Amino acid sequence: MGAGGARLCSAQAPWVFATKTTNPAMPCAELGCRGLERRLKESSGYRGLGFGAQKSLLEIPSSRRLSISTKMNVRQRSQRARSIGRLAHVQTSGHLEEQTPRTLLKNILLTAPESSIVMPESVVKPVPTPQVVQSSKQESSRGSLELQLPELEPPTTLALGLLAPGRRKRRLRLSVFQQGIDQGLPLSQEPHGNASASFLTSSLNLTFATPLQPQSVQRPGLARRPPTRRAVDVGAFLQDLQDTSLALASPGNSLRTPAATLPTDTVLEDTQPFSQPLVGHSPSVYHSLPYLFHTEAKDAEKAVSHRTQSNGPRLQNHSPGKPAQLLPTKAKKVDALAMSFTNTSSAISGEDEVEPSQDVVSEEAEEMMEESLNMGEVKDTTGTQGSVRTEKSERHAEMTEAFEAKEPEGSSGDKDISASPELASSTTEFLQTRQLQFPKSAPPPSTAILSSEDLEPLPTRLPPRARTLGPRPRQDPYKTGLSHYAKLFSFYARMPMEKKALEMVEKCLDKYFQHLCDDLEVFASHAGRKTVRPEDLELLMHRQGLVNDQVSLHVLVERHLPLEYRQLLIPCAFSGNSVFPAQ
Amino acid sequence: MEEDKAAEEQQRFSYRQRLKAAVHYNVGCLCEEVASDKEIQFSKQTIAAISELTFRQCENFAKDLEMFARHAKRSTINTEDVKLLARRSNSLLKYITEKNEELTQFNSEQRAKKKKKLEEENKKPVEPAEAGAAGRDSSTV
Repeated sequence: MGAGGARLCSAQAPWVFATKTTNPAMPCAELGCRGLERRLKESSGYRGLGFGAQKSLLEIPSSRRLSISTKMNVRQRSQRARSIGRLAHVQTSGHLEEQTPRTLLKNILLTAPESSIVMPESVVKPVPTPQVVQSSKQESSRGSLELQLPELEPPTTLALGLLAPGRRKRRLRLSVFQQGIDQGLPLSQEPHGNASASFLTSSLNLTFATPLQPQSVQRPGLARRPPTRRAVDVGAFLQDLQDTSLALASPGNSLRTPAATLPTDTVLEDTQPFSQPLVGHSPSVYHSLPYLFHTEAKDAEKAVSHRTQSNGPRLQNHSPGKPAQLLPTKAKKVDALAMSFTNTSSAISGEDEVEPSQDVVSEEAEEMMEESLNMGEVKDTTGTQGSVRTEKSERHAEMTEAFEAKEPEGSSGDKDISASPELASSTTEFLQTRQLQFPKSAPPPSTAILSSEDLEPLPTRLPPRARTLGPRPRQDPYKTGLSHYAKLFSFYARMPMEKKALEMVEKCLDKYFQHLCDDLEVFASHAGRKTVRPEDLELLMHRQGLVNDQVSLHVLVERHLPLEYRQLLIPCAFSGNSVFPAQ
Repeated sequence: MEEDKAAEEQQRFSYRQRLKAAVHYNVGCLCEEVASDKEIQFSKQTIAAISELTFRQCENFAKDLEMFARHAKRSTINTEDVKLLARRSNSLLKYITEKNEELTQFNSEQRAKKKKKLEEENKKPVEPAEAGAAGRDSSTV
C-alpha cells in the first residue's frame, strides 16, 4: 500500500499542486475537485481533527443518501468539501507524502477510468483497512455515481439490500427473486432498510454492483461462507414456496412448520393476487409491510420471517408478501433476527392500526410480544459482548411507542422495558458486526407466544396452528429463545454440534443474561434510579472491557451502528454542522 | 523537560515496584500461614503469580471503583461503591456489609462519646447540676 500510495502520490502531485494554486473548483469535474480537496485536507495534517469531522461528514452523506435525495448530499458535500478545501489550501504544501489507505483509494478512484468504478469490490478487496477507508472511498466514488443514482434508483434500493458481499449476497438473491416476482411490492424498502443497517461501505458497493448483479452475486472470492450455503438458501426458498402451495390447507401441528408455511402463503398470495380470496387483505399487508420496514431500517428478511411467524396466526390474512419469512431457519441472520425483534413490535402496532377488528387480539399478542421482547431483550443485553451500546435509548423510543400504545401488561419492570429496546438495537448491530453467539431470543419467544395466542379463527385457509400449543408459560418462550440462540451459535461455529453442547451453550447463555440484567439493575439502583438508562449500559460495557480509555462508546457506536441509530445516540453525528479543526 | 519526564517515569516505576514488593511480601506471609494450616507447600512461582495477580486486580478494582463513583455522580469513592464491586462474591459482600455496619456503629458511638465529653466540659464551669443533667441526657442518647 505504501509503495502504491507513493506512486499515486507522485503521479498526482503535479496535478495537486496545480489545482492547489489555482481555483479549486476550476479545471476538474466536481467529483475530482471534491476528492482532491479531501485529499488535500487530509494530507495537510488535519487528520487529527478534521479527519474525524470529515469522516463524519462524508459518512453522513453516504448513509443519508439512502434516505434523502442525493442531490442535496452532493451539494452539501461539495460545500463542505470546498469549505474544508479552502482551509486545507493553506497547509497543503509538503504533506502529500502522508498517504493513508483512504487517500490512496480516493486517488485510485479519481484517476481510474469510469468503467473501473463499476467494479468497486476489486478496489476494495485489496485494502484490508477498516470501514473508514471504505466509507471514504465510497464518498469519493459516490460522487461519480451520484449522477447515475437517480436513474438507478429502483435497482439501487434493491442492490442496497446486498450490503456486505458475503452475507448480503444471499439477501440480494432473495430480493432479486422477490422483485422478479412482484415488482410493485414495497420490498424495495427492505433492501433499503438493509442498507441502512449495514455498513456504509457496503451500501456503496451495492450501488456499484447493481448493474452487475448476476456477476457480483456469483463472486466466489468474496464469499465468506461456502457457496453451498447460499445455494441452499435459494433452493430452500423455492422449496418453501412449493411447500407452502402444497401445505396451504394442511393444519400445522408444530410451531415451525406453520410459521414457515405461513409466510410463503403470503408470498404466494402476493404474487398471485387474483387466485386467492385474500385479495382484500393484501392491501393491508402491503400497508403493514411498508410500516414494518419503515420503522426498522434493517435487514428484515429473516427478521420479518420470524416476525411474521409470530404474527402469522394473528395476521394470517394480513401479512402476505413477507418473503424473508421463507427462510426462518435458514441462514439465520443475526441482524435479521434483531430486526425481526423490533419489527415485530412495530409490525404488530402497525398492523393493529390497520386491522381494528383484531384490536383485542393484537393487543394481547402485543403484550405477549412485549413480554417476549422484554425477555429477549433481557437476554440480549448479555449477548452484547461487543455491542451493548447506548443506542438502546433510540430503540427505546421506537419500542416504547409501540409498547405504550398498546399498554403492555406488566413486563418485568422498567428495567426490562427500557433495557429491551436498547438490547435489541445493540444486539442487532453487535451481531452484525461480530459473529457472536448470542442472537436475539425475541423471534422465537414472540413466535411461541403469538402462536399460543393464536387468536380468533382466521377465516381463510390458513391452518389454525398454535391452537395445539395453547397458552405457554413465560418460561417456555424464554427457553425457545435460548434454543434459537444456540442454533445461531451452531451456525456461526460452521461445524456440526452435539446436542449436549448446545444445551450447555443454552445454560451458559441463560446464566450470562441473568447476570447481565442483575448487573444492570444494580447499576441503576446504585445511581439512585429505578430505570436502566444508557449510562448503566455504558458502565456495563466498560466493565466488560469493550469500552475503555482508548475506545469510547461513541467510537463503538460509530463503528458498528447505522446512521439512524448513531444520530440518536450521538447528537452531533448528524447535526449537519461543519466542524472545522480547531487551530 | 524530557529529563524531568524520564525522572518522573523512573520514580513512578520504582514506586510501583515497591508496591509490588510489599504486596508480594504480604502474599508470601499469607501463603505461609495457609501452608502451615493445610500442611501443603507453596512454590515460589505460585506466590509470585498470586502477588502479580493481586496487584493487577487491585488496579482493576481501583478503576471500577472510580467508575462506580462517577456513575453515581460522586467524586469520592464510597462504601456503596465497594459493596457494588464486591457483590459478585456473596460471602465477601456479607463480610463487607457486616464490617461496614460495625464501623458505622462504632463511629456513631464515638460521636456520642465525644458529644458527651464536650457537653460535660461546657456545662461543668457553668453549673454542675446541668452537667449532671447533660450527662443523663447523653447517657439516654
